[in-house]
Amino acid sequence: MAQQLLNAIFIGSIYALFAVGYTLVFGVLDVLNLAHSAVFMLGAVITYSLVALHGVPFLPAAVIAVLVCGLLGLLIEFVALRPLRRRNAPPISALISTIGLALIFVAIVEQATPSSFFHWLWQDGANSVRFPSNAVPNPTFHVLGLTIEGTKLLILITTVVLMLVLGYVIRFTQLGRALRAVAENRRAATLLGIQVDRIFASTLFLSSALGGLAGLLFGLAISDISPYIGRDQVELKGLAVIVLGGMGSIPGAVLGGYLLGMIEVLAFVRFGSNIEAGVAFAALFLVLVLRPQGLFGARLRERL
Amino acid sequence: MRTGARAIVVGLVLLLSACGGSAPGGASSSNSYQGKTIQLGAILSLTGAGGVYGPSSQKGMQLAVDKINNSGGVNGAKLALDVRDDASDKAQSAQVAQTLIQQGQLLALLGPTLSNSAVAVHPLAESFKIPILAVSTTGIHIVPDCNYPKTDPCTYVFRDSLGEETAIPTNIKVYAAKAHPKTGVLMVANDDKFSSDGGKIVQNTVGQYGIQLLDTVAFPKATADFSPVVTKAVQKHPDVIFITSLGGIPAKIMIEARRQGFTGQFLGGNGFNTAVVSTQAADAGKGAESGSAWYLNNTFPSNADFVHNYRTKYGGDPDQFAAQGYAAILILADAAKRANLTFSDTPGDRTKLRDAMQSVNIQTPLGPFQFTQNHDVKQTVWVIAMDGHGGFTLVSSVNPS
Repeated sequence: MAQQLLNAIFIGSIYALFAVGYTLVFGVLDVLNLAHSAVFMLGAVITYSLVALHGVPFLPAAVIAVLVCGLLGLLIEFVALRPLRRRNAPPISALISTIGLALIFVAIVEQATPSSFFHWLWQDGANSVRFPSNAVPNPTFHVLGLTIEGTKLLILITTVVLMLVLGYVIRFTQLGRALRAVAENRRAATLLGIQVDRIFASTLFLSSALGGLAGLLFGLAISDISPYIGRDQVELKGLAVIVLGGMGSIPGAVLGGYLLGMIEVLAFVRFGSNIEAGVAFAALFLVLVLRPQGLFGARLRERL
Repeated sequence: MRTGARAIVVGLVLLLSACGGSAPGGASSSNSYQGKTIQLGAILSLTGAGGVYGPSSQKGMQLAVDKINNSGGVNGAKLALDVRDDASDKAQSAQVAQTLIQQGQLLALLGPTLSNSAVAVHPLAESFKIPILAVSTTGIHIVPDCNYPKTDPCTYVFRDSLGEETAIPTNIKVYAAKAHPKTGVLMVANDDKFSSDGGKIVQNTVGQYGIQLLDTVAFPKATADFSPVVTKAVQKHPDVIFITSLGGIPAKIMIEARRQGFTGQFLGGNGFNTAVVSTQAADAGKGAESGSAWYLNNTFPSNADFVHNYRTKYGGDPDQFAAQGYAAILILADAAKRANLTFSDTPGDRTKLRDAMQSVNIQTPLGPFQFTQNHDVKQTVWVIAMDGHGGFTLVSSVNPS
């Protein structure tokens, strides 16, 4: 059982990391960025391509991938969100345009030809690869009969540290104050001299960099890197997590991530895989019936 | 159904008498092949979960097509192979089959790669009366009862791939005789026909060899994190973990189980039998045993030739799927050679080809090849073990009873 709880904490960390970026955009911009799962996938495939095919050591490759994902966030803002905002389109339009962008991102990876950057897709037809074991050491520790993998420990530490840093940034820095001001009231923030567009761009950059990081850590620990990991593994779950945590709430997303991981694993252990997802989502439903605003959801002004 | 069959028989008789009337002897039928093209279509999983198998099948098939065409073709007719990807998806597989059939030119189909897709594709081929030769499907109810649960035989469906109903029990028998395991846990993907069929076969077999199945851990194919699934199995401390699943999953399970301290034996099915899986599992897979339809160093007369040509063309070793794809083309070419094709009446030619397939008797890399009455393959089972770096070693071979 202890091993299973450990398993739950590790997968929960990934859900949390993914969901934080998701919820950040919703909190500040009031739109769901459904391209987030595609950015998650790109974080993993860009790092993999650099490491496995271009001989870049893991750490610099990871930094490059996270930065590229951040820049993709800016692309999402400038292509899918800002033009619609300028025309006062309803939030649902932004939802659709980000879905479109997500499909394009996935298709770009899928369409890679044998000589292109993502050509590993055609290496052996497997369509799912993992980091070569010599590129990223993964020491396994055995403590008190428990198995702890180095990569998963790394995920846990990264998640906790990042959450603390993010919490600090939002609470105590100039950028954080501006973010909260925009989240609370866009017009008032503008009147106070905050450059709202710049805040939006920063938010997308930050959110997408986090999404990319979550993706590459997923690829590292779960050994499954393919064009579909975002869509298949985290898109819906991420949505569930941020609803559970309270839309726009960062502590909510973190707690929601761990909670979903825990519920899933316990449901699997107790009931088996056939109804694992059913049990997990029933539990989520129950939480929402009891607390419709989500765990940390509150009135608008208390967001972030 | 009955009237359909009668119509075919009547049609056949008419066709045969027409041939007999027009020209005597085999020489003229050879001449009628000259300059013609025998069009074949293959539905393979080049991407998706089955993407670890489909490309091998394709390479094997292409090798055989080139070999035959370069040595004068089939009585002078060229083979043309149209390969389509079904992305390992059942619905897409049926759609691709429909498209190929509707082109109206193809004499026979090959595939699909996965048993899960065969359930949709084979009945389609049967109803259009186009011969289809399965080259990698190993599940239950592939031949002859492709319309299962209906039991009337599908007369246009054949397979040259060794069924799991033979391979898995042979594998378990060989290992039990050697190591006398007492306990096992079955890990099975529960949303895929091939995998769940394999699971049923394991459940039905272990008892005969005194192995107690402690637990069956089922999981969906799309599982991302296998840690909880593997933990559940490993904590039972079984002597053997049986894995019936496909794609990259067996490798993932082996790696995770070794990390979690499992030191016992892995036994599995056809999902193990490709270099990609052995490569992915690497050290963690070393010694994992499975029953295979083919072994690299088997001494059948046409195998050495096949392996040599494959290495020359592709620069690597073939695997079981390549051998089965290669054999399939040889089978179809041999049948086409003897079928007295008209090249003008496609439906008639398809039925003639089907009839000729029933009496195929040739040498292939899989061994001497004949179809059983059920259109299935009867052949040697090679129990092989992963060697820890992408290849396999031979454990033993069991001849057909």
